[in-house]
Amino acid sequence: MDKKVLVSTLKKNAMLVVLVLVYLFFMVLTKGGIFRPTSFNALISQNAYVYILGCGMLMCMLTGGNIDLSCGAFVCLLGAVGGVLMVVQGWGTGVSLLLVLLIGIAYGCGLGALVAYVHVPPWIATLTGYLAFRGLGTSILRTNSPTGSIGPFPQSFLNVFSGKIFKTAEGVLNWPCLIAGIIAACLVVLLVFRTRAVRLKKGYEADSIGAAAAKSGIGAAVILLVMYKLSLAGGIPTVLLWVAGIVLIYSFITSKTTIGRHFYVVGGNIEAARLSGVNTKRIMFLAYLNMAILTSISAMTVVARFTAANADAGKNFEMDAISACVVGGVSASGGAGSILGMVIGATLIGVINLGMFQISLDANYQRVVKGFVLLAAVVFDILSKKKQS
Amino acid sequence: MSENVKKAPSFKQNVTEFMQKYKVGEFFQKYTMVLALVIVIAFFALRTGGKTLLPANINNLIAQNAYVFVLAAGMLLCILTGGNIDLSVGSVVCFAAAVGTVLLKAGVNMWIAVLAMLAIGLAVGAFQGFWIAKLHVPAFIATLSGMYAFRGFSNVVLGGYQVSITNQGFLDMFGGGASCYVPDYLRQLFGLENGKPNITCLAVGGLAVVIYIIMTLRKVRIQKKLQIHQSIIGTAITTLLISAVIVWLTLKLANHRGIPTVMIWICLVLGIYQYITTRTAIGRHLYAVGGNEKATALSGVKTRNVFWFAYASIGLMAGLAGILTAARARGIDPTYGEGYEMDAIASCFIGGASAYGGIGKVSGMIIGAVLMGVINQGMGILGVDSNYQKVVKGIVLLVAVMFDVLSKRQKR
Repeated sequence: MDKKVLVSTLKKNAMLVVLVLVYLFFMVLTKGGIFRPTSFNALISQNAYVYILGCGMLMCMLTGGNIDLSCGAFVCLLGAVGGVLMVVQGWGTGVSLLLVLLIGIAYGCGLGALVAYVHVPPWIATLTGYLAFRGLGTSILRTNSPTGSIGPFPQSFLNVFSGKIFKTAEGVLNWPCLIAGIIAACLVVLLVFRTRAVRLKKGYEADSIGAAAAKSGIGAAVILLVMYKLSLAGGIPTVLLWVAGIVLIYSFITSKTTIGRHFYVVGGNIEAARLSGVNTKRIMFLAYLNMAILTSISAMTVVARFTAANADAGKNFEMDAISACVVGGVSASGGAGSILGMVIGATLIGVINLGMFQISLDANYQRVVKGFVLLAAVVFDILSKKKQS
Repeated sequence: MSENVKKAPSFKQNVTEFMQKYKVGEFFQKYTMVLALVIVIAFFALRTGGKTLLPANINNLIAQNAYVFVLAAGMLLCILTGGNIDLSVGSVVCFAAAVGTVLLKAGVNMWIAVLAMLAIGLAVGAFQGFWIAKLHVPAFIATLSGMYAFRGFSNVVLGGYQVSITNQGFLDMFGGGASCYVPDYLRQLFGLENGKPNITCLAVGGLAVVIYIIMTLRKVRIQKKLQIHQSIIGTAITTLLISAVIVWLTLKLANHRGIPTVMIWICLVLGIYQYITTRTAIGRHLYAVGGNEKATALSGVKTRNVFWFAYASIGLMAGLAGILTAARARGIDPTYGEGYEMDAIASCFIGGASAYGGIGKVSGMIIGAVLMGVINQGMGILGVDSNYQKVVKGIVLLVAVMFDVLSKRQKR
């Protein structure tokens, strides 16, 4: 009986197990290099866009395996626009950010209308953006700068999206960071036990006390470890606040709200959803509007990280976001998937990228590995589901 | 209207009657893309002062877009199975071409290299098809992973550098360099000196028109026998127009350097795919699977094999496109083939293939590919910034699909 529980738990958390194994694998190969505080910092700041775009892509994919191919090119265009506003024209950070966000919303509305109300297949509607936006962005950059790159961005902008909060020197314990970590860990423990108590009270099936303890213990330990390492690397990266905020908001939307449920329902069976009174068109519209808004935020974090807007910014971002979702168990045909899964998927891809970089694997083999990891993850997902049913 | 009442019909009635009789509305819907193509060609001819219609540019149009025709033919089968696509073709083109080029450089016989490239394409296609058909991995994901992996592999094979091809036989055969044209056998036969017009090209063009007309007549006779009513005038007009296009094309090519060898491969591929989609059981199965996969499976069709066939076929086409690309560029670079998948997909959709599968024709795809090619070339000659070229391409694709979606909705 115990063995059965263990096997089913492992199966349920297969990607988590894979993540741990991959991490240990690279730990051995890099002789602990991937466990250094700077590696933790790099993992977060380099992959921030994957987490942010992953949230948006998840909402799109939930509605029936629909994707947004244009987000990478849109990141490039918005970066260029932001650069022109802030660096070339010298406008204020607040006004510029607002304008960039407005462009994002305008595109999202247009795209959403095309997909939801005209019924253009999403990947074709977004393929247009994929083709057009990088061209537009590049020509904006070229006409405004001889090098094709606009920068440096004003410090007031960089403060919002990059750098560290209460920065200290590397190797010195950063107390605000550690304290935030301890608070977060306590919250996780509290939340797990509160959920369990509520479920028990309502008479639902709930985790055993041991399982709850293990779950909260692992969660808290991971958070403490990450925050401890970050506190040694100079403090909380500003971008982590954005990532954490967005991930928490979408986690709440998908699991606790009616509108979140509707995304799953539409993806499960759109006809049934429509007949049950769900406004399916509005859900599709919202999915793409939301994606465009998150793309705007992501564009700003990317620009801030490089302190410049480049024509290459955002290349393959759509693939990274899709991969994170699919590896994280989001169904490619819609209706299933969770933010937590996406976060694990994004982290797994991030760890593989970082690990391959640190053992200085040839960039070409990196692509090969990335491709096969994606395929293996999906095959694994399909096979494990087949056995369950 | 009853037949007994004979009254002079008003002008408006006349028009409506005419429109109904000759199905004007249907005509426009059916041939929108042809009309669009004519308008676009006329537009660029006017803007460039007729430069786009020079024999050399007509020749370039075919040579530059050879890969689009070949890949789009393969892509059409995938799209037919239910709007599935193959994102990996660009990378597979590069990988197959890279291996072939390296083999040619090592002095291997050109036909062995060609076979190797085709085999690689077929093997990759079958590999991806395996996951898609047997395990129901979404086609999008399976080919996405191929897109990453084979781009990486081609870099590894080429060591990150450009490798050039010097095998003249290979270049002549697959459309690279200055002598990649079918020699003027007929002029040689009559003992004439080489020159313009190319008589072989004229003869082949004439033969093509004759064959086309004979086939149309045969089709009309069969339709009559089966009592399928088709407007005779409509058929005559289409036949006449297509014959005129062939004659025009022949004259243009004959006044350049003759038939480019690459055209043979394009015609071969298009002919085979036209045959597969219209005359064979597997062709019908492709449409059936795209129309309703479950119903098709329940009717006893092994739908898995249909998917496998579609993906193996596009793999093979990617191998062939790799050969053509390598020959045209007289070498290969690790970045070749990027974006090819988009060209192929766009051609199919502009040519009226349904993004939900089950609908699409080779003839439509050809028009889509030519339209994309004309737009590309016209903008190139006009000197439009390459960034804006992409924007225009994207908008053309979107408009084509929107038109498709909206016109189908009206029908319902």
